[in-house]
Formats: sequence, C-alpha cells, structure tokens
Amino acid sequence: MDPSSGGVPRRESIRHARRMSNWTAAALIAGTGTAAVALAYQAHQATAAGVAATGAGVAPAGGTAGTAGTATSAAAGPAVAHSVATTTASGVTVTTTTRTVNGKTVVTRVRHAPAGQDD
Amino acid sequence: MTSGAAGTTRPVPWQRAPWQRVATGDDAVAVAERAALGTSARVAVWPPENLGAACAVTGDVLAALDLQASRFRPDSELSWLNEAGGGLFMLGDGLAEAVGVALAAARWTGGLTDPTVGAALVSLGYDRDFAAISQGGEPLGIPALAPVPAPGWPLVRLDGPLLRLPPGIRLDLGATAKGLGSDRAARAVMSATGAEGGVLVSLGGDIAVAGTPPRDGWPVAVAEEPDQAVPSQLVRLAAGAVATSSVSCRRWRRGGAVLHHIVDPRTGHPADGPWRTVTVAAATCADANAASTAAIVAGARAQDWLTTAGLPARLTGHDGRVRRLGGWPADDGAPVPVPRGSHVYPGGPR
Repeated sequence: MDPSSGGVPRRESIRHARRMSNWTAAALIAGTGTAAVALAYQAHQATAAGVAATGAGVAPAGGTAGTAGTATSAAAGPAVAHSVATTTASGVTVTTTTRTVNGKTVVTRVRHAPAGQDD
Repeated sequence: MTSGAAGTTRPVPWQRAPWQRVATGDDAVAVAERAALGTSARVAVWPPENLGAACAVTGDVLAALDLQASRFRPDSELSWLNEAGGGLFMLGDGLAEAVGVALAAARWTGGLTDPTVGAALVSLGYDRDFAAISQGGEPLGIPALAPVPAPGWPLVRLDGPLLRLPPGIRLDLGATAKGLGSDRAARAVMSATGAEGGVLVSLGGDIAVAGTPPRDGWPVAVAEEPDQAVPSQLVRLAAGAVATSSVSCRRWRRGGAVLHHIVDPRTGHPADGPWRTVTVAAATCADANAASTAAIVAGARAQDWLTTAGLPARLTGHDGRVRRLGGWPADDGAPVPVPRGSHVYPGGPR
C-alpha cells in the first residue's frame, strides 16, 4: 500500500539558480544586508521574550549553536519496544522486522537494494 | 540573465516507488519505507494515523531536495551550477540553504568535509548514481586514477542567496545533504501534523527525530556493516539525530584499486584512516552527518576531533575494535545523550 496521498512534488514555488551581473548582485547584497540587520534585531527580541516565557525546556528538534546541555529523557509518548530504524552506512537498505515468539523477541533483518533506485 | 534548470524537470524512478508499510512489532507507531535519492527513506510516526500525511510531506521534501542538490540529475539546480563554469549566481532558497549548511560544516570541521570535493569524486569515477557504478564493474568515465584535491571551501562565497563560485569548482553536498533531508522532513512532518505526537525520519540511515518521542526515546538499531545480520547495538534517541558513515559500502573498483565514496578533500583520495564505521549523535542530522564523515576523514585524529566537538560517537576500526566517546552508551537500549547546539544551521534550529 501507499500511505502517501502525495503526487508529483510541488515545484511552482521553487526559484532556480540564475546567473547575475555584478551590479545586480551589489544592489541585492546591500538590500539583503539591511534586511538581515533589521530581522536579526527583531529575532533577538523575540527569542529573548520566548526564553523568558518558556524557561529551559527540552529542545524539540535541533538546537541553537552554543546552547548547553543534552537531551536524553523522553516525554510522555507511547511505549515502543522494538527498533523502528537502523542507522547504518548510506545507500544500504536494511529492513528490520521484529516479532515476539514464545515471549522472546525475534529480529529478522533483510538487506536489499532499494526498489526504483534512480539512475 | 540565464535561467537554470527551470521547466526541464521530470520525475525520476524513485519518485514513483510507493511507500511500503513496515511491521516493527509495535502498534503504537506506524512505519513506512520507500526508495529515495539512491537509497531508502523511512518514516515512523505516532500516533499511527499521521502516517499518510507524514509520508506525503516527506516525499515532497525529498523530491525537492533531489531537484535542488543532486549531483546525479542533469536537471538539478546543483548540476546546472556545476556546468555553468563559475560566476555569480542567485540560488533558490532550498539550494542556498543546502550550500550554506555544507559550507558551515566545512568551516566547523576544519575542511574535513568540503563541498568543493565534486571534481575529486568525478575523477575517482563517482560521477553517477552509485547503482550505475556498481552494475558496470568496469572503470567509468575517466579511466586512470588521478587524484584531485579539493580546491577548498573558502573559495566559495555565499551571502544569503548569492553564491560566487570560481571557475572549475564542482560542488558536492554529500557530507550534509542526507542529514539536511532528514532534518527538513522531520520538521515538515511536525508542521503538517500540527505538532501532534512525534516523528522519526531516516534517509539512508541518517536519522532525525522531532516532536514528542516514545517513552524512553525512539529505539534505533546501530549497524556497523551494511550486511550485518544482527545489529551491533540498540540505542534510544529522544531528540536530535544520529548518522553513520562507513567506508564499507558504496565501494567500486577502478584501475585495480577498490575505492569508496568518502574522499579526503586534502588529497582527493578515498579516506584511509583506521575507522571503517563511525556513528555520531548530534542536535541535528546535518550536524551528525557532517561529523560522522569528518571522523572517517580525520582518521587517527577522529577521537580528538569528536571529543573537542563534544559529540557522542561510536567508532569501529577495521579490526573490529569499538570505541565509544562523549557518553555514547555501552549498554543495549540505553539513551544517547544528544548535545543541543547546532554548528551547521546558522541562526538557530534546523
């Protein structure tokens, strides 16, 4: 089955690489710099307010450079006993199937080339 | 003004591959897998009802990344850039982020990863998707092994979407792109599902998690070898990411030499250090992806570099010796302590 209902990826909003003249680039650099300063100032204020409001909570995804601490404990998700993925070298597909037989966990791992691999 | 890859795209075969449900033994999470970007993608979510939406947005994210940053698609933005012969370019947002992450990783690793390694990979024969190389069996492209050291990432300048690329430099984003893809997909899934529950996204074994993890963290197997029958270890990942690099896969023979895909930018040769597989945990998957690759390239200095970076890591030598650093657990099923700082996403979280 295909759990996805998505079709051909949306591309309308993708801008593409374009060659530019130096004058155009200079103008854009100046504009970008000005906008970046303004946005950074606003972002700093917003971040400071957010930290003050939320305290030192668990980072949900990723983090900010320089932030101390580690994340190991989990919140209140469901109990999951079996591995759901394998970290291994790239380009290798390893399917892991886990089942319980007579109270013991049986792990079956099958390595295969991914179907539909691009050429 | 010259337009790039616009309007010339076509779906590649992997985009037609359906998502397949994967039984893991737990009903509390739903898992699906499909081919993607020359490797495989896997999505795990809870609550299970979110699987359809998660697969859909992950497919979109990976398709967009492929179109932006694939070195093997002639219609990608990166391929167009590499064929343009240098100059000043305005990049789309996605490719600008991908190049920015690659340059940040190069700066962080002191050049152990380097996006200007593209010509070196081509000279070694890694000039097309790996499936095409491995099926041929014979030397492809350039017949003689001619190492091409990377020109060096400092020569490439990126200011927002503006990229200055000197002539002759070919970019390859392989040290960070898969991690970036997992990061983007995990974030997109959480956005699409209204931040309900949690998600794990694996792209070729580089894994990012987001949202609320299962109790005690997502169970993730660690495999040292691609064809390993039994995983080396099971760890729990509550946040961040984990990635693995190895010289044991994506190998090919060329001119009598066995080569692999992790190239030392300083020499243009495949890395030949003492470690065959390195797994690293980090705040983001792009961080972990870059760090595991850098550790392979660093060779004998890998432990020092990882320790300085403060990253938990598991290294396996060619002799099978395992070394754990930075709090990487020794016990099966133990949590991995993931640092919270990202070095490759300037300005904040992924």
